[in-house]
Amino acid sequence: MAENAVAIMPAVIRFDEVSVGVDGKNLLSRVSFSLRAGEKALLGGKSGSGKSTVLKTLLGMRSPTAGVVYFNGQPLNPITVQNIRRCIAYIGQEPVLGADTVRNALLLPFQFKAHRHLSPPDSRLKDVLQRLRLPVGLLSRDCAGISGGEKQRLALARGLLLQKTVYLLDEVTSALDAESKQAVFEVFADPQLTLLAVAHDPDWLERSQTVFEMHAGQMTRTR
Amino acid sequence: METLDISLSRMIMLYGLCLLPWSLLWAIGAGLSRDIGIGIARMTLQLGLVGVYLKTLFALNNPWLNAAWILIMLIVADFSILRRAGLKPRYFALSCFSAVAVSILLSSAYLVVLVIQPAHFYDARYLVPLAGMILGNCMQGNVIALERFYAAVGKNQTEYTTYLMLGASRWEALLPYFRQAVKSAINPSIANMATMGLVSLPGMMTGQILGGSDPWIAVKYQIAIMICIFTSTTLATVINLKLSLPIAFNDYDMLNERLFADSKH
Repeated sequence: MAENAVAIMPAVIRFDEVSVGVDGKNLLSRVSFSLRAGEKALLGGKSGSGKSTVLKTLLGMRSPTAGVVYFNGQPLNPITVQNIRRCIAYIGQEPVLGADTVRNALLLPFQFKAHRHLSPPDSRLKDVLQRLRLPVGLLSRDCAGISGGEKQRLALARGLLLQKTVYLLDEVTSALDAESKQAVFEVFADPQLTLLAVAHDPDWLERSQTVFEMHAGQMTRTR
Repeated sequence: METLDISLSRMIMLYGLCLLPWSLLWAIGAGLSRDIGIGIARMTLQLGLVGVYLKTLFALNNPWLNAAWILIMLIVADFSILRRAGLKPRYFALSCFSAVAVSILLSSAYLVVLVIQPAHFYDARYLVPLAGMILGNCMQGNVIALERFYAAVGKNQTEYTTYLMLGASRWEALLPYFRQAVKSAINPSIANMATMGLVSLPGMMTGQILGGSDPWIAVKYQIAIMICIFTSTTLATVINLKLSLPIAFNDYDMLNERLFADSKH
């Protein structure tokens, strides 16, 4: 998507002077940034610099000690948190599939009241798998035998099935081969999708419009 | 039919029987001599005190005194459950007490007032031992439920947060652990009912038979107490877990680990 087009979109994610601390230790110090709809951003930095804390704070898994987090203009609070979580797909390094078979893992979110009415047909499950270059036969496979890279793509498939538009990825392509990685990049070429990816992969750097660098809980924008 | 009393000299003779296992354990170097001594001494002292207060309670048979005694039992059980389950009493004491109290009072009242129907519903001879027995068993169930539930949530934090991120409400995300914890708490009481009379004669029934009751009456009381234990354990564990959730989880559905005994805070 052209950068000009992104620039006129409203901010989907906004951190306003957000600090997070645990046991007197500062994990984030007055972090401010915003991401517009469709923007693709990379979050870099050394291990322990606060990258994952940024993602967790946005999802309400860490509570700010100061500042405000906004999602689509709404401040994150106990009333809005569930709604915000429903709009965001978070995919970590070792996603939990939470079911016996791959099909059940993909359908897991549709067991919850919030998504029950959206339950997709089998044809849509197959479409999503193909889009991520995963074999359709995987649907009947036992989750116990699924590799780390496949798990990551299945977690991404769940986000696509839920029609989420904001994705937080934590080192997602680290376990993927070149072809699978390409499939993931193709998914995020969609201008509708907003992306904040924690990654060390230079391929992500190339594809990101915005780059943030974390250092000891502080954020700087380098692109 | 009167139960035969055991004289003091014959009680001393009974304690002498302990010398047999004690010497056996000493011979194999089990190193349990001190524990055996403490165990026997505590049992003697505690049951001696129970004898004294039960005699007093039965003699006075005062409804307020009986109620006060049940209240003390409930408070002691409350703290005992939380300590054994690893939860800090200053946060969970009220929720745990409420859950256990409601369940015990409901099942005891049902049993005494509607089923047994003594002349006075507060009759210490029925109310105190029955409520005590139900409470003792219900306590075990609550320890298992709370301990298993919070251990499972703590161990499966990633799985729990995944459910939340996939759109589950807090209740939906916790339900698998909740279900498992309640099942673990109730299974012993179901298994107990299923094997009752086959594996061993239940304690209460044996006591009644030794006390001179007709075996049929003893059987009916045993069935009554088992049903009440099952009912109160199920009720108390479900209510206790449910009431603990708003305390243990913050407004963002995250587990507050500071509320557990092994946290440093």
